[in-house]
Amino acid sequence: MSPASLDEALVAAAQSGSTEAFSRLVERHQQALRAFLRRTCGDWAQADDLAQETFLAAWSRIGRLKAGASVRSWLCGIGYNKHLTAVRSAGRERARGASYEADRDETADAAPEDKLALERAMAGLPEEQRACVALCLAADFSHAEAAEALNMPLGTVKSHVTRGRARLLQALGVSDDAG
Amino acid sequence: MTQADDRLKALFAQDEPAVRDTVFSTTVMEKVMRRRFQEDVAMLSAVSSVGAGALWFVWPMLQQALVAVSQGLAPALGAVALAACVVLVVSARPDRALGLES
Repeated sequence: MSPASLDEALVAAAQSGSTEAFSRLVERHQQALRAFLRRTCGDWAQADDLAQETFLAAWSRIGRLKAGASVRSWLCGIGYNKHLTAVRSAGRERARGASYEADRDETADAAPEDKLALERAMAGLPEEQRACVALCLAADFSHAEAAEALNMPLGTVKSHVTRGRARLLQALGVSDDAG
Repeated sequence: MTQADDRLKALFAQDEPAVRDTVFSTTVMEKVMRRRFQEDVAMLSAVSSVGAGALWFVWPMLQQALVAVSQGLAPALGAVALAACVVLVVSARPDRALGLES
């Protein structure tokens, strides 16, 4: 069974009230959702809290998920909206830069200076640009998938990814034509 | 994909959470089950409240009907209870009289 068809079967079971099926969906998608939220909001503890809230909201709304829709995109969309709500309500935008660096695990880094430069550059990107970069450059989302997940026009996503990528490469001191 | 993209991807990959995280999954499912329990309790409370309200509304009419029915059935119920007692006493084996003997 392909991952997509397995997701579809699990969603159908969860829509019928199966918590076991939903539990498997959580297991399958927690990594992608948490990684996206970590890169988007910078604060790892907050990202995990948001991921938990996202799954709770997903459980309540699972009946509205259309057959064949991408579960990963759907979850990232809910997570992104939760993140925006948290930023707006708690004024975390200003504190983001500090918390972004405070919660990092630096022990496993092979090249800490590169990692730090990337984190600083990510923290400096505008909210929407950072979300587009987190999905398209770090999580292998297509532009169309990211546009669907973030509820943005396709052209806007492409533009955000191009600009964000350029800023990240500039921060790392990498030439764009290195390939 | 260029070398620059590969490098970005490699740096991003260092932030990846574990593929399987049972602590996180268990925490989420605990919250889901708690939410489900709260929803069940809320629904049962709502249904009970509506039922209690409906009963309170129809009680004056229902009470008269119950009194009338119980007065009519009282002799029959009394006779059935008396017959059951007689059977039990005569047989002296309540389980056999009730057909419960294995």
